[in-house]
Amino acid sequence: MSETNAAKAGIVKDEASPSIARGAAAALCAWIVPGLGHAMLRRWPKAIAYFFAVGVLAIVGLAMRGDVLPASSQDAFDRLGFVADLGTGGYYFFSKTLEPSGPDDSKAAGDYGTRIFAAAGVLNFLIILEAYEIGRRPPRRTRDLQA
Amino acid sequence: MLNHFQALLIFAFCVSVAFAFLSKRRLDEHIRYTVWAFLAFVLVAIGIGWLMFPFSH
Repeated sequence: MSETNAAKAGIVKDEASPSIARGAAAALCAWIVPGLGHAMLRRWPKAIAYFFAVGVLAIVGLAMRGDVLPASSQDAFDRLGFVADLGTGGYYFFSKTLEPSGPDDSKAAGDYGTRIFAAAGVLNFLIILEAYEIGRRPPRRTRDLQA
Repeated sequence: MLNHFQALLIFAFCVSVAFAFLSKRRLDEHIRYTVWAFLAFVLVAIGIGWLMFPFSH
């Protein structure tokens, strides 16, 4: 599309350029609350699906009294586990509030809970990356007109 | 408290839904992929469980 046509359509040039700031803001929101990044980008079905998928996994992991690993972990696997857990964002920081009894690794359920909570975090990393990619792209209307 | 099988079902469903929305575009594709991935998760988990059964005794 020529610049004249773009001007007629009411599109400013900046709107069409990829926005790293918008992508970063979407990624940050997606990290804090799973699905919020997509909600910010008005991708409602994805936002709802991600909110419930990651939220249910994180809450089930905590309810099964899974371990939430701290940053001060010494073991390499525990450090990896910490990074995975951190992916859940808000659920990581409020894990003590959500499950006041704390972790219980003495039963198999506690061990499963640890893995399920970590899986929620890793899943949310994929969601964060997708939110960043969508956020970076020019808005849909502009892209359609450019095609 | 959930038993292990219920935890497996919830895990399989949530991960299947997230993968479907990450990798597919249309609603019918989401549904088909969710069902397929969910059944694959559950069947593989039960299969591996049966394979490990002799070692538990």
